[in-house]
Amino acid sequence: MKKTRVLAVILVALMVMMTTVLAGCGGSKKTEDTSSETSGEVVWWGWTPGSPTNEQYIAEFNKEYPNIKVTWKQTSIDDYDAAIKPALANGKGVDAFEVSAGSGNGGVKVFGGQAIDLTDAVKKALGDNYKDKLNEASITTMTVNGQLKALGVGTVYSGNLWINKDLFDKYNVKAPTNLAEWKEACKVFKEHGIDGFVQGAGQGAFNMDTFHAIADNVSPGTFTKAARGEVEWTDDSIVKALELWKGLFDDGIMQKGALGLKQYPEANNLFMSQKAAMVMMGSWYTSNTLPDTMKASIEAASSKEEPFTMIPIDFPDIAGTGKTGSMFGDLDYSTAVSATSKNVKAATTFAVWLGTSQSGQQIIADSLNVVPSLKSATPNWDKVKLVNPEKQNEVIKKYIEKSMGSGDNPRFAEINADMNQKMMDVLAGVAGGTITPKDGAAQLAGTQADSK
Amino acid sequence: MNNMKKDKTLKSNKMNGFPWILPAFVFIVGIIYYSIFYTFKLSTLDWNGLDPIQTEVGISNYTKALFSDWVFWKAIQNTIVYFIFTFLIQNFLGFIFAAILHTKVKLATLHKCLIFIPTILAPATMAPVFRLLFSPQGILQDIFDILHLGITVDWLAKPNSALFILMIVAIWEFTGMSFILYYAAMSQIDKEMLEASRLDGAGNFRTLLSIVLPNCKGTTVSLAMLGIIGALKTFDIPYLITTGGPNHATEFLGTYIYRQGIRQSHLGYAAAISVMLLVLAFCGAILINKVNKGDEK
Repeated sequence: MKKTRVLAVILVALMVMMTTVLAGCGGSKKTEDTSSETSGEVVWWGWTPGSPTNEQYIAEFNKEYPNIKVTWKQTSIDDYDAAIKPALANGKGVDAFEVSAGSGNGGVKVFGGQAIDLTDAVKKALGDNYKDKLNEASITTMTVNGQLKALGVGTVYSGNLWINKDLFDKYNVKAPTNLAEWKEACKVFKEHGIDGFVQGAGQGAFNMDTFHAIADNVSPGTFTKAARGEVEWTDDSIVKALELWKGLFDDGIMQKGALGLKQYPEANNLFMSQKAAMVMMGSWYTSNTLPDTMKASIEAASSKEEPFTMIPIDFPDIAGTGKTGSMFGDLDYSTAVSATSKNVKAATTFAVWLGTSQSGQQIIADSLNVVPSLKSATPNWDKVKLVNPEKQNEVIKKYIEKSMGSGDNPRFAEINADMNQKMMDVLAGVAGGTITPKDGAAQLAGTQADSK
Repeated sequence: MNNMKKDKTLKSNKMNGFPWILPAFVFIVGIIYYSIFYTFKLSTLDWNGLDPIQTEVGISNYTKALFSDWVFWKAIQNTIVYFIFTFLIQNFLGFIFAAILHTKVKLATLHKCLIFIPTILAPATMAPVFRLLFSPQGILQDIFDILHLGITVDWLAKPNSALFILMIVAIWEFTGMSFILYYAAMSQIDKEMLEASRLDGAGNFRTLLSIVLPNCKGTTVSLAMLGIIGALKTFDIPYLITTGGPNHATEFLGTYIYRQGIRQSHLGYAAAISVMLLVLAFCGAILINKVNKGDEK
């Protein structure tokens, strides 16, 4: 009996010790910065643009800072939050990390608390008038509680369609400018065994892009005003936009089974393998106009086709208002520096170089992946060679210019995580016929009110 | 007197063995119980998992889930439907396959392997295959088109059929497990009992129903318990194939906990659902045990 008691006491004591040890592991301690502005080891976490592009950025950075070793650690876009959260909480192994504006993955409002204020660093690099030299969104959307928590690398814009120009020419189809032409184009392609338009409507963020484009077509600016709480989501123009959104599914514009498909990889693969002629993608897709990037995308889609001519077109005027061509954008990703890093100075050098230096931003511009944050960095068109320069060069130049001039029309920056989820639910519900457009608008308004 | 001595020896043997498992026992129990208590503590907070500010909200995460969150109830409903269908079908198939392979079947080993292989394949490997199979651009659609059946394979896009597809995938994957357990249970049945039933004039079906099935009851109970816990923990198949969609039609507690805790950064709310999942799993296990004990009486 005595032996049992002793054992029980030991057991309880050991369990308490174990629990205490585990509890102690949770806290993050203040760490000392062992790096300098020109030397150190930086682990850079992110989800985009992905290897080997990130390594190319690092190689370019090392030409100027050979003693700062940067290691790129990539996760998938869907797993980023799950992976970075414990890493940041633990305070080890993350020096620089990517964040985004608004409710996308790596939202700065969630992760900004773990990052240092970069205001002084950017002032040192660009001077006190740094705001004039950078894209406005790269400052405003990355400022949390008055602190600049990350430096924008580049902006992505959406609101347009991309079309396979070669397929349009081959089947003598006119690029659609309104609903009737869009339906007709889809019908012609279908007759030739090709999906006219493809959307992975099972991946909600891209549905929001299409819906935003429709809403801007119905009434420019109302979507953004609703997101900011200046207009109710139950506004007639939003209900009308939801009706038109449903129409895309009912009228045969969306391919069959769209709600079961993801934009990446499925819809992207269908477009890249030339099994679909149109897709709703934004400015990040511009990099596919470069032969090498497109080849890699085609191979990733398990296709053996040669690179083809793709160009952006305005979202068709399906509301019949004549108000088309709206673009909306956010910083695609920005670089933050972990407050608990042992390499704060080196990581800051890297973040500032990537987001504000001419050399860092030039390589970003030439990759055509995002529109650079530094206003003076534009693609070097003598160096940048597209798949079909004759048909693409002018169109792409105008597209980038138009994107940059899109004004105050954020993509996700004004939408918090709860609204994001609700919008994805409503759009899927309206498309599937389980929610009416009016009810959908009311649900959006309800969530907006709850999350205030 | 002799019995008392025996009891003492048995007790002493038990005590002697205890220190050997003590380190592992403490380690495992320490982690599990710490995690449970920590999750319970989290469930009373409004916290995103990183912010230094944690707001105490008492039981409001629980009341929110129970009284105003339709997705939580949809996840419970899906779990029940999923458990009932997958449990009945995969165990029926597993039982039948086991019975057939206890007869003289040619290439029995090959058949056993074929039935069991899906169980050892990782869902992450198979999910893209199933997504492609059940896609309008997939092989199934090609076959339907060749046969001019006029059927569109858009089942993953429809709320009602998407759950059905997930159940097919689960049945395909886990029938092998039911099969192997029933096969082992059938091997333990006394051959004389089977011969006696034959002598009494019982045919194959009667023997299977009246002799084999009751003798496999322990296995069925174990599979039911594993099934309930498995259904409550379901995550990989719906997450990888439908991501819980369309519009939460294939949401399960596991996917919803992930969505709330990671995607929407409502760690406290996700913890509250986790605690409720734990309670449900516990109740399920007790229920199955009670039903089993009631039957035994």
